[in-house]
Amino acid sequence: MGLLTILKKMKQKEKEVRILMLGLDNAGKTTILKKFNGEDIDTISPTLGFNIKTLEHRGFKLNIWDVGGQKSLRSYWRNYFESTDALIWVVDSADRMRLGDCKKELHTLLVEERLAGATLLVFANKQDLPGSLSAPEIREALDLNSIKTHHWLIQDCSAVTGENLLNGMDWVVNDIASRIFTMD
Amino acid sequence: METNNSNNMHSNGHGSNEGEIEEMDFSHSDFIEEDLATGLSSKDVKFDTIIGHIEDIVMEEPFQTIQNGFLEKYYKEFEDTEENKFCYTDIHKEYISLIESYLETELKKRLPEFCMLEFSQQLQSRKKELEGEIFEILLTFSDFMAFKEMLLDYKAEKEGNAIDLSGGLTVTPVQDKLNLDGASPFCITGKSLQGP
Repeated sequence: MGLLTILKKMKQKEKEVRILMLGLDNAGKTTILKKFNGEDIDTISPTLGFNIKTLEHRGFKLNIWDVGGQKSLRSYWRNYFESTDALIWVVDSADRMRLGDCKKELHTLLVEERLAGATLLVFANKQDLPGSLSAPEIREALDLNSIKTHHWLIQDCSAVTGENLLNGMDWVVNDIASRIFTMD
Repeated sequence: METNNSNNMHSNGHGSNEGEIEEMDFSHSDFIEEDLATGLSSKDVKFDTIIGHIEDIVMEEPFQTIQNGFLEKYYKEFEDTEENKFCYTDIHKEYISLIESYLETELKKRLPEFCMLEFSQQLQSRKKELEGEIFEILLTFSDFMAFKEMLLDYKAEKEGNAIDLSGGLTVTPVQDKLNLDGASPFCITGKSLQGP
């Protein structure tokens, strides 16, 4: 590890956390990010690279990294694992056809060494769409109960209406805080 | 009483090549008291010396030249859009290692006994006391958003998009303008008033 990386890790301001938001394409990652930030969500196009936003939430500074989810882009995800405090996995709850793919990609991430310490929040997004699966159904489909390596929670939500987004983020912040900021 | 720490007194200078250490008169113990007064150990002095050199290095022209060379090489890749391209991440990594290896090379030139590993360990053990502009500068090197901004600023400057206030107060004779352009600069043309 180089000098600058060491310094960055050391001086990471207290109450500053890094959150990585991943999921299949069209899951709603960028919409969630923009909704959090109070931005217009009507003109979002598929992400081909990545977005970063820094939000203040309950006295915490959240650096959220949202990386494009198209199949051809997933090999780039690894470049953003470093120093991640929480992984937010976003699921299109109405996309029944791709739940298998969704499960496979998530479980691939969970064995990544650089994500080993990260809190996992699963957003069962698009609850506003008719025919969307409920959070317990998504939990089943993604086999979340088998996860023993990470603290995890599944939260149903709608990025479009904003419903439950803050609940999910509250849990993430609490979980990270109980792990990291009590150790000093 | 320790009399073997004459180095303490001499390692404080930044960058100057002191050569031979002068013979000290150890018979009176002023310098020990001074050490106690400032509370600085030889380790502190060594650490501060390294930090002083880093401060010098990043302010010097060769560093700016290297930085500009890097900006020149890559600014065309950057676009002023909210979404980032994946290549920005690779370019940022290259930048970080360029800066790191330059700092290390320069420190070794100035302090032959400099060891990056040892210095890194010292940094970590002094975690709580790292304050000051130099640490902010070093942190900026590894901050992605600051990096992107730097490239976009450079690009704007290169492509002439930066707001140029230098000509803001220049008075141009209207007559010259008329002759050159064949139209009064004060004429509002219909074009700009037409709606879509």
